[in-house]
Amino acid sequence: MKGRLVFMWIVVGIPLLWGVFKTLQNAMKLFQ
Amino acid sequence: MASILDREHTVAAPGFNRFLVPPAALAVHLSIGQAYAFSTFNLPLTKLIGITHSAPGDWDLKQVGWIFSIAIVFLGSSAALFGRWVERVGPRKSMFTAALCFGGGFLISAFGIHLHALWLIYLGYGVLGGCGLGIGYISPVSTLIKWFPDRPGMATGMAIMGFGGGALIAAPLSVMLMEHFKTATSNGVLETFVTMGVIYFMYMMIGVYAVRVPAPDWKPEGWTPPTRPKQLITSANVAVDMAWRTPQFWLLWVVLCMNVTAGIGVLGQASPMIQEIFSGRVSPAAAAGFVGLISLFNMAGRFIWASTSDYIGRRSTYSIFFLLGIVLYSTVPTLGHWGSVGLFVAAFCIILSMYGGGFATIPAYLRDMFGTYQVGAIHGRLLTAWSVAGVLGPVLVNYIRQFQIDSGVPKAQAYSITMYIMCGLLLIGFLCNFAMRAVNEKYYYRGST
Repeated sequence: MKGRLVFMWIVVGIPLLWGVFKTLQNAMKLFQ
Repeated sequence: MASILDREHTVAAPGFNRFLVPPAALAVHLSIGQAYAFSTFNLPLTKLIGITHSAPGDWDLKQVGWIFSIAIVFLGSSAALFGRWVERVGPRKSMFTAALCFGGGFLISAFGIHLHALWLIYLGYGVLGGCGLGIGYISPVSTLIKWFPDRPGMATGMAIMGFGGGALIAAPLSVMLMEHFKTATSNGVLETFVTMGVIYFMYMMIGVYAVRVPAPDWKPEGWTPPTRPKQLITSANVAVDMAWRTPQFWLLWVVLCMNVTAGIGVLGQASPMIQEIFSGRVSPAAAAGFVGLISLFNMAGRFIWASTSDYIGRRSTYSIFFLLGIVLYSTVPTLGHWGSVGLFVAAFCIILSMYGGGFATIPAYLRDMFGTYQVGAIHGRLLTAWSVAGVLGPVLVNYIRQFQIDSGVPKAQAYSITMYIMCGLLLIGFLCNFAMRAVNEKYYYRGST
């Protein structure tokens, strides 16, 4: 059960973090 | 296959970890949140024949713009129409249907691009995809509320945060895929649609596989339902057909509509607005950064405000949205006049966090007022407020700006009136929220839930 829990959170967490990272990269242009 | 999807086959076994359900809901919401990033396809769809430029026979932006509008209209309508069905068949079947509609919508649209038939894209992404959006949006809501009776705001906030986060993923993903598939004879949109249709279908299927409903007598370990009744948290249930006859439903409808109207117009016009207000000081690239930043706050606000509402109450949370919103909107023209970009950006970051927070807190507010019995279906009907706000917000921002400019007002000051109108809308929302009282017992559902 614990393995499945970790797997599920990784499956949704990685794309979300990638999206946040890409957006932050873009947002940084506001301060340049 | 049908039996695997039935509600009876999704009842969790004893010992099931309830924290497996939010990622299942997130898998669906992160996918359908793509809709917010559909504008990345707008320009490429106007260059399907000319590839690098719009050629004769290519569609124009106005025609292409209808795809998103149709999808949003069908989001609201399908959530309202299929809400009761979603409650009846359970989250797995409804999430599977949403995956079929949303993924299928992309594939039909790809076929529409192949035939250069715009009506097929309206039908595919607009109608079918829009139904996928609506059904997918409401399908995990009541399940999450039942799994987290102790923290309903946090649970639904987490899922609805995914809808905001989906755009953050889809925007760079669409650009990357179009770049990857681009050739001398294609700008890559068709291939991107096919790829995204398949990816999103498979990703949503992870949610379909993982979602479970709690057993009827289940409750979190160590948690006991509050014994002292709170004024605005009911322990009774109201059925969907009765709920929309109560004044509380319509007060909440106006609350959501006003909150969304105030945010959605700004969200759509953010890039030109900051460039025009700070003319010569904010470049288009920096303005794109501003859009990214407020999108992040829109997403984060969904989780933070909805979770906070579990502690301070829903009515207090919305009171903060409206009162703080009024203060911030009325300050924006002054901040523009001062030339303070930093404070202007900070004000809109908070405003957009409350816009997202409004979406994410409403399911828990509905649960407090109408109980858990058909909260998903009631939520679906309330989402029609989103459809109305989706038209009202951009119209207020765009048309009033244009009217001001046509009347000779400098572009930098063309948004001031709109900001004050937003304050008025927020005041209406505040009054409706303030008028909220417990639902009259005559509306209670007396049957078995």
